[in-house]
Amino acid sequence: MKNNIAVKVDDLTVAYNYKPVLWDIDLEIPEGVLMAIVGPNGAGKSTLIKSILGILNPIAGSVSIYGKSYEKQRALVAYVPQKGSVDWDFPTTALDVVMMGTYGSLGWIKRPGQKEKKIALEALEKVGMLPFKNRQISQLSGGQQQRIFLARALVQDASIYFMDEPFQGVDATTEIAIINILKELRKANKTVIVVHHDLQTVPEYFDWVTFLNVKKIATGPVKDIFNDDNLTKTYGINYKVSIQE
Amino acid sequence: MSNAQIEIQLIASLVAIACAIPGTFLVLRKMAMISDAISHSILPGIVIGFFITQDLNSPLLILLAALTGIITVILVEYIQKTGLVKEDTAIGLVFPALFSIGVILIAKNANDVHLDVDAVLLGELAFAPFDRLLIAGVDVGPKSLWIIGCILLITIGLLFAFFKELKISTFDVGLSASLGFSPTIIHYGLMTVSSVTTVGAFDAVGAILVVALMIAPAATAYLLTTNLKRMLVYAICFGVFSAMSGYWLAHWLDASIAGSITTMLGLLFLVIYLFAPNKGVIAVLYREKQQRTEVSLLTFLLHLRNHSEEEERHVNHLNEHINWQKVRSKTVLELALKNNMIVIDNDVVSLTEKGNDFTSQAIDYIITNEDSKIEHMKDDFFLFRG
Repeated sequence: MKNNIAVKVDDLTVAYNYKPVLWDIDLEIPEGVLMAIVGPNGAGKSTLIKSILGILNPIAGSVSIYGKSYEKQRALVAYVPQKGSVDWDFPTTALDVVMMGTYGSLGWIKRPGQKEKKIALEALEKVGMLPFKNRQISQLSGGQQQRIFLARALVQDASIYFMDEPFQGVDATTEIAIINILKELRKANKTVIVVHHDLQTVPEYFDWVTFLNVKKIATGPVKDIFNDDNLTKTYGINYKVSIQE
Repeated sequence: MSNAQIEIQLIASLVAIACAIPGTFLVLRKMAMISDAISHSILPGIVIGFFITQDLNSPLLILLAALTGIITVILVEYIQKTGLVKEDTAIGLVFPALFSIGVILIAKNANDVHLDVDAVLLGELAFAPFDRLLIAGVDVGPKSLWIIGCILLITIGLLFAFFKELKISTFDVGLSASLGFSPTIIHYGLMTVSSVTTVGAFDAVGAILVVALMIAPAATAYLLTTNLKRMLVYAICFGVFSAMSGYWLAHWLDASIAGSITTMLGLLFLVIYLFAPNKGVIAVLYREKQQRTEVSLLTFLLHLRNHSEEEERHVNHLNEHINWQKVRSKTVLELALKNNMIVIDNDVVSLTEKGNDFTSQAIDYIITNEDSKIEHMKDDFFLFRG
C-alpha cells in the first residue's frame, strides 16, 4: 500500500568528537506515515533528524529525500527543533517567528512581504494562536511556544515534517491540538516524523515507529513491531506495555 | 563650535553607529566577550600591517588586522571544540597571547614611530582631526572620518541585505541550517564586520572604547524593547547620544574623550537598568510586590468562599484568621473592593458574583495551567502574566 519512499537513510554513522552516536543506520520511511522515533536518552534520536536535515555532518553514509540529496529537496522538508534549542527572550513576536518559516522559499536577501504575512497568519489561526500574534515570545506559555513552532513548520507547506519532541512540556490540550494537526497532515499524504518520549501514546498517535538506540533496533508499522520484545531490546530493561486496540 | 569639534563628534557618532549594529547581534548571540577578544588580538595585525604599509590608515592594514580578528574567532572555536576548556576560558587564552605578540612587536620595532600601546588601547579622538585626507592636494576632511564612514556604509548595506538571515541564524541555528542559510557563513560574516569595524574605529577611539560602543548600547536597548528592529535603532541612538554627550563631558572636565564617552555609556545603562518600564529593576520589584498582594487577595477570596459563617467573615477577624498583619489586610481589602469582588456590610465581608467568578477562574488556572481562559485577566493582574 505504501510504495513511495519519502526518506531513505543508508549506512549513516555520526560521531561527536570521534565517539559514534549513531552506528550504521539504514532506514526507509514510506510516504504518508506518521512515525515516532523512540529510544532512551542519548540514543541519537535528535542526531538522526539533524543529520537527515544536513545540520550535522555524518562521518559516513548518505541520506536521500524522494531519491535526491537533501540540498536539492530542501523545499519539501519542514523542521521543528526542540523548544529548548532557542532563546525565547529573543526580541521578536509570535507572528515574526512564524514568518521565519517562509524564509526558505524566499532564499537569500529577498524579504518577506504581505503574501508571507498572510500565510503566517493563516498558520497561526490553524494552531489557535491568532490572538497572540503580537505577543513577545517569552510571554507565551510552553504549550503556546510549541504551537508557534508548529505553525512555523506549517507555513513551509512541506511534504515531510521533522519534529523534535513537540510534546515536551506542553499541557494536555496542546498535546491533543498538536496531534490532531499531525493526523490532518498525514491525511493529506504528508510524511511526519516525530521524536517521541511517551511510549504509552505511541499506538494511539502513530502508525509507524522506529526503535533507536545508537543502532537501529526496528522500524515498521506500529501494529506489527511495537511490542515488548523490541522495547526491551531498545531500552535494555524488561518492558511491559499493554497495547490497547 | 570649531570645525575640529564638529569633526570629532562626527567621527565619534559614526563609530558609535558602526559599532552598535554588529554589537546588537553579538549581544543577542551571547558573544559580547568575543568583541573584547577581537579588539585586543587585532594588535599584531595592525603592527604587521603597519610594517608593510608604513601607513596606519591603509586599507591593507585594516584587512590584515581584520584577518587577525577572524583568526582569533577560529582559534577560540577550535580550542572550545576539543571539549577540554569552556568558551570563556578559550577566549581568555587566545586574545592575551595574540595581543602580547603585538606588544612585543611594537617594543622591538616600532618604538620611534607613531604607534604605541597607549594609543592602541585608549585611542585619541582629539588628534583625529589633525590627520587629513588630501585628494589631489585638496583637504577633504579627517582620514578617520572617511575610513569609518566607508565601513559604516558597508555595514548598513550588509544589514539591509541580510537582516532576515542574521535574524533567523541568531534566533534558531537549527532552522537556519535546515532552510539553507548556513549559520557558519553568517557567523563569519558577522565576525568579519565586527573585526573590520573594530580596526576602523580603533585608531580613533582605542580598543577599550570599541568594546564599550559595541556592547553597552545594545545591552541598554535590549532592556527597552521586544522588537529586533527597534533594538537596533535604540542601540544606535544610545551610541550616538553617548558619543556626543561624552565629548562635551570631556570638554568640560578637560579629560580623555574616549574615557568620557565610556562613562556616559555606563551611566546610560545604569539609568535604563533601573528605570526600564518592564525589565528594569524597579519595575521588577514593583511587579513582585503586586504579585504578592494578588496571591493574598486570592487567598482571601478563597477563604470567603469556603466560609459562610458571619464571624469568619468579619473584618476584624480576618487578621487573626488568615494570619496577616493589619497593613496587608487593608491593602487586600482595598484591592478587592476596588475590583468589586467583595461588598462590606456592617463590617461583614461577602463575595460578589464577580469575586466568585474570579476565584473559580483563578483556581482553575492554577490547577490546569491553561492560559486561554484567563487572557482577559492578564491586563489587570500581574499574577497571570507568567
